[in-house]
Amino acid sequence: MAVSATLRLDGVGFSYGAEAALRDVSFEVAAGERVALLGRNGAGKTTLVRLVAGLLHPDAGTVWVGGWDTGERAPEELARRVGSLFQHADQQLFARTVREDVGFGPRALGFPVHEVRRRTEEALDALALHAHAEQHPYDLPPALRKLAALAGALALEPMVLVLDEPTGGLDRGLRAHVADALREHAERGAALLVVTHDLAFAAETLDRGIVLDGGRLACDEPLAPLLGSAERLKPLGLVPPTVAALSVALDLSGRPVRERDAAHALARVAGGGPGL
Amino acid sequence: MTRLALEEVTFWYPATRAPALREVSLEVAAGEIVALVGKVGAGASTLLLVAADLAPRVTGGRLAGAVRRRARSGIVLPTPWTQLSGMAFTVWDEVAFGPANLGWPGHEIARHVDHALERLEIVSLAARDPITLSGGELQRVIVAGLLAMDPDLVLLDEPTAELDPAGARSMWRLLRLLAGEGKAIVVATSELDAVPDVADRVVWLEAGAVRAIGTPQLLAEDAACDDGLGTTVARIWRAAGLAPPYPLTVADAVQRWP
Ligand SMILES: Nc1ncnc2c1ncn2[C@@H]1O[C@H](COP(=O)(O)OP(=O)(O)OP(=O)(O)O)[C@@H](O)[C@H]1O
Ligand SMILES: [Mg+2]
Repeated sequence: MAVSATLRLDGVGFSYGAEAALRDVSFEVAAGERVALLGRNGAGKTTLVRLVAGLLHPDAGTVWVGGWDTGERAPEELARRVGSLFQHADQQLFARTVREDVGFGPRALGFPVHEVRRRTEEALDALALHAHAEQHPYDLPPALRKLAALAGALALEPMVLVLDEPTGGLDRGLRAHVADALREHAERGAALLVVTHDLAFAAETLDRGIVLDGGRLACDEPLAPLLGSAERLKPLGLVPPTVAALSVALDLSGRPVRERDAAHALARVAGGGPGL
Repeated sequence: MTRLALEEVTFWYPATRAPALREVSLEVAAGEIVALVGKVGAGASTLLLVAADLAPRVTGGRLAGAVRRRARSGIVLPTPWTQLSGMAFTVWDEVAFGPANLGWPGHEIARHVDHALERLEIVSLAARDPITLSGGELQRVIVAGLLAMDPDLVLLDEPTAELDPAGARSMWRLLRLLAGEGKAIVVATSELDAVPDVADRVVWLEAGAVRAIGTPQLLAEDAACDDGLGTTVARIWRAAGLAPPYPLTVADAVQRWP
């Protein structure tokens, strides 16, 4: 079978016992694409993340990473290609320091010491974690523990990054670091699939939106216009983020969904000078 | 009526030398919603733990100053998945766990549990095993468990972190309802855009100390915007080079717009 996409789901279904959590889900994510995976609570997002990471295997269909069928690989082997962040990842750190934890993945993959060090330091830098590198993960607040787990996923420099709620509880500065780091990994060719309820973060960082509803694929399209449409989002349990709502309310040209674009549009109308 | 008073509270965790709270004074009255904002690590979570009498009682460490509580309090942690009792095999029993520990009669427990499930829109989950829930479903269950105990002082750390956007809106509406019933509410949140419509007062924490206390209008000031604590609308207005005072919300912006 010809597999061009980095990540590809083909008619994927999964049930926990009698209840179907995912039904006939198909989509592809190419190298360098930045995709938001959205949907109401219970829509099936985390289930899909677990399937891509190989922690669960589909009951129907196939999840492909590169040419690998994830159902036939152990999670340890998949870690060569998939970096994942789980929703409650703050509980998954086990090393004595943040630095050791971030380096765990590359070390386990057998990279030489200098390469492990480069990846670890780059990931710590990218997420502004250097100040905490020597701290015990459990002496950090949960939001920073999760950030450390994200650094561990980035340090794998994988072909697919699948992240479940990477920004919960983060302040604006840290969210911007996460956004920059994700953009950079996508530029280097990673396929990004990011589960988030933070639609402002999604708007700033990602550009395609896949929405699940009741375990089915409800939309797969460019993110910006979708985020501007309150009527389309409502039945999916979603609400336009503030920038999109402002654009609509003030009828800003181009209906921007990113802060900087909205400030420019506003400045043009008001005749002021944008300061962003 | 004051439900919670902190007087010059300084708090040290056992593992760190610098205090996590520095001389924090704050009073919270019945019927009032106070939002705690600040950067990660600024002290909001610690303040809630102190208010809930978990710090230093459970966390260890040392506290100076005085804490007065004239209320039964309940807290939702930023990691609600660590708050399951582990003693219940259904959501209904999980939500009933707190009230049962208060020694209430059965019919009182049932009334409070059913009401809490309705308020969190999770009646349909009542028979589910709590350990199989999705993140947002679980966060609702933990909040329901707190409300079922009918506390006078409600302490919430990032209560919308796992909720879908529509669910987050419902949560904020619910807090206003609870305040209307006389509960005192302290909520730490990074969802700054929700604060203007929810909070009566905002406490801006920085490095463990109170940097400012005021109305939500605080979140439209230059100083807050500089520190990443302005609302989205205020930041956009400012970045566009428009004159202060900046609008706080989309509704404010519409009013201001010619
Ligand atoms: N172990 C399990 N056993 C039974 N049902 C489960 C299990 N895990 C999840 N579910 C159910 O499967 C559905 C999908 O759950 P999933 O965790 O994938 O949702 P989600 O989209 O990630 O939601 P959230 O936004 O709340 O995190 C939900 O109805 C959930 O209750
Ligand atoms: Mg989930």
